[in-house]
Amino acid sequence: MAAKGEKHSPLEQFEIVPISNIEIGSYNISFTNSSFAMLITVLLITMFLTLTVNTRSIIPSRLQLISELMYNFIAQLLTDTVGDNGKKYFPFVFTLFMFVLIGNMVGMIPYQFTFTSHIIVTFALASIVFIGVTILGFINHGIKFFTFFYIPGVPFYMHPLLIPIEVISYLSRPISLSVRLFANMLAGHTLLKVFAGFVVSMPFFTGVLPLTFIVALTGLEILIAFLQAYVFAILTCLYINDAYHLH
Amino acid sequence: MPQLNPEFFISQLFWLFVFFSFLLIFLWRVSLPRIATVMEKRQNKINENLSTAKELQEQALKIEKNINFQISNAKEETDEEIKKTIISLQEEASTKLSSLEKELEVKISNSEKEIIKNRDLQMKTINEEISNITKITVSKISDLKLSDSVVNQAIQSFKGKIN
Repeated sequence: MAAKGEKHSPLEQFEIVPISNIEIGSYNISFTNSSFAMLITVLLITMFLTLTVNTRSIIPSRLQLISELMYNFIAQLLTDTVGDNGKKYFPFVFTLFMFVLIGNMVGMIPYQFTFTSHIIVTFALASIVFIGVTILGFINHGIKFFTFFYIPGVPFYMHPLLIPIEVISYLSRPISLSVRLFANMLAGHTLLKVFAGFVVSMPFFTGVLPLTFIVALTGLEILIAFLQAYVFAILTCLYINDAYHLH
Repeated sequence: MPQLNPEFFISQLFWLFVFFSFLLIFLWRVSLPRIATVMEKRQNKINENLSTAKELQEQALKIEKNINFQISNAKEETDEEIKKTIISLQEEASTKLSSLEKELEVKISNSEKEIIKNRDLQMKTINEEISNITKITVSKISDLKLSDSVVNQAIQSFKGKIN
């Protein structure tokens, strides 16, 4: 809660604060609040997925059912978009989905840091996908992978225009993928913070109004947190599919 | 904007790499195979149960068929038994009827004989009575004492005229 009289920027919540300073050579790899949020995320995912399935019961408990639902959800997503080829990438897509989803959800806890609201993190994740998919494309099709940028059935004089557009759209994939997630998280949390500021700064009873709004927005944010993780996962699946099936 | 401050870029990338790799390896090697095993086990169990159910259903159908066969058999047997009984009863009834008829005939002929015998007896006593009455009547009218033979002769002659 903001102390009275202090000016608080809505962006202050994204400030990275080192918890313990670690330096290797000239590189600063301090354990920060962002790293702490990642740690909590990883702990939550591993503990949940391990403990709920620990009994390995054929008739699942409610919690085990949640784990199985998540498993089936991503498995279905991969089969629908990539087909049988996609099974190999299931652990990666599942990890990506869970990491982004729980990262977003951890960010919804008050006073917790949202590491997915940092472009460097989302860009790194998107780059892994992009580089991985490009390598996969070259492994599957060799030099023919470049025909991905060639759209068949288009008049020949359009190609000089279309091929650069295709190349640019392909290269902008990591940017669009990372900015989409980052911007959504940034905007959502900023909006919440702005409204939270209104609750404090507005006169006594009128403050209830933005408070109500915050409650509604929090619900929306939780939806967006899920939706963005889903979008991240489904786009990854589509990119993997592109690496298998050119135009 | 803190996101654009490159001070902690390396730190964030480093910890992202550490945690994401750990998570990927852990899920890949530990969690996901567990979930997959459980679901596979369940699917196997379901398939097993389904095949058992199918087998049991087939068995039930066989048993039902058998029961129906036995029921129809039993019905046929009962029908036959009923027919046989009816026929034997009819035969018994007809033999009893014929024996009864014979008995009846014997009884009728016996009765007829009895009747004839009785009639004859009655006729005899009537004749005696007639002779007695005649004797009495004659003695009352004429003081004549008639012997039995005369009376009988007279009656016999009279009788012959009537007849």
